Amino acid sequence: MDANMIISLHNVNFYYGPSRALNDISMDFPEKQVTALIGPSGCGKSTLLRLLNRMNDLIIGTRVEGKVLFEGKDIYDGHVDPVEIRRKIGMVFQKPNPFPKTIYNNIAYGPKLTGANAGDLDALVEQSLKQAVLWDEVKDVLNKSAMNLSGGQQQRLCIARALAMKPDVLLMDEPTSALDPISTAKIEELIEELKKNYTIIIVTHNMQQAARISDSTAFFYIGNLIEYNKTEKIFTNPDVKQTEDYITGRFG
Amino acid sequence: MNESINSSMKWRYFKQTLFFGIVRLSFLIIALALGGLLLYIVINGIGVINLDFITTMPTDSMTRGGIMPAIVGTIYLTVGAILIGLPLGVASAIYLTEYAVQGRMIRIIKIGINCLAGVPSVVFGLFGLGLFVVMLKFGSSILAGSLTLGFLILPTIIGAAEEALKAVPQTFREASLALGVSKWQTIFRIVLPNALPGILTGSILGVGRAAGETAPIMFTAAAFFTAKLPESIFGEVMALPYHIYVLATAGTHIEETRPMQFGTVLVLIAVVLGIDLLAIIIRSRMRRNKRW
Repeated sequence: MDANMIISLHNVNFYYGPSRALNDISMDFPEKQVTALIGPSGCGKSTLLRLLNRMNDLIIGTRVEGKVLFEGKDIYDGHVDPVEIRRKIGMVFQKPNPFPKTIYNNIAYGPKLTGANAGDLDALVEQSLKQAVLWDEVKDVLNKSAMNLSGGQQQRLCIARALAMKPDVLLMDEPTSALDPISTAKIEELIEELKKNYTIIIVTHNMQQAARISDSTAFFYIGNLIEYNKTEKIFTNPDVKQTEDYITGRFG
Repeated sequence: MNESINSSMKWRYFKQTLFFGIVRLSFLIIALALGGLLLYIVINGIGVINLDFITTMPTDSMTRGGIMPAIVGTIYLTVGAILIGLPLGVASAIYLTEYAVQGRMIRIIKIGINCLAGVPSVVFGLFGLGLFVVMLKFGSSILAGSLTLGFLILPTIIGAAEEALKAVPQTFREASLALGVSKWQTIFRIVLPNALPGILTGSILGVGRAAGETAPIMFTAAAFFTAKLPESIFGEVMALPYHIYVLATAGTHIEETRPMQFGTVLVLIAVVLGIDLLAIIIRSRMRRNKRW
């Protein structure tokens, strides 16, 4: 029953300049499961997500305290290259952000430039698109611009693009918030499928979504981890009153 | 009651018409001035334009014959200025927008660059004379002139490139970096290609300036008259703006060569337009599948 923990946080604090965005967070993310991070805007859930692949490094004046272990190694250790970390921990963003390139080149971009998985690019592109359940829709237009795809298709393309790097973990930052319900349903199905092979950590504002797709759920409030448990437990019988108030829509 | 609403509406309508009228008039004045200038040059200059004028050497102390060496010289100098100004300017802009930690130092540098754009061109000419011609011993040459013009257009290109780089959505950078692609590769493969059309637009302005300036090349590259075309980048050249200046002020036959002066101006305008057109064509080809 107890899964292997792929990422562990030990007493993590995070600062934007002088202001603290995360307070003493300690939590473990189980391998090949879906973990949902929920909480009202500004609670630190996106900050936490972007801390896991060192995307926060891009923001000047940020600082991390504590330990973030990925497969047992601290990713904030001095001689760890964030570029290496990001190859193993992929990310899908809130708004679909394909490159203004062809569909094929969107997928091939990462593997080509990093030299990873560069064996048979055609096969890799096909495999990644199939994993993202987009292949059948785009197989005849691989050389057309990705900008011509619909929003939902673009987001699946971004997932395929991340998968082409063969990451261990996939971080998703509200991946369906810019999409219509049908596209959202497709992405959710896709996440169900992907968790067989990948660890998925997803930030969402949508309670039903968290309840539907995740195995565990963590509730954050103003930089604190309030409650972290099996999703079933969180949504039926939470231990903390604040969690209950939030998931029943009484605040947030 | 009703009447007062009516009259206030009328008053507002009158004001609107008045302001639109003023705006239209301003545009008309500009258009007329520009059109008039061009027309004046064409009318006075078109008479001397023929194949011989643009393909042969000047003769009889430049009172007859063509202006071919000046056309060639201006093209050399302008292309040289772009070859120097564009890479240097784009590299500076990449450093300023993508790498440098934004702070007081960078602000001061940016103000400095803006000031550089306002420095009179004759100052660049003297700078070129001191540094390239005398100190580095390039002599009065294509190389020295191109370097001087390259520095002259540098602020324009840096400014345009900065704007173009900033206009590339941050989400593209994030998407690339999140794949584990390095920062340098991200800039080179994603940011720069998407900024290039914008950079070219700004550079077009620089081209016009480089081709048309007289003062910076007077001391660094331009010759009063050369009997043949330059053989290397260390050779002196004739150039259109300087040729016009010479014919109009320094010759012994100023009045007689008036039509040639107008003709030369016309050719200069055509050369600048030609180079601009080339840049516009390149830009539109690049833009074809760039939408976001």
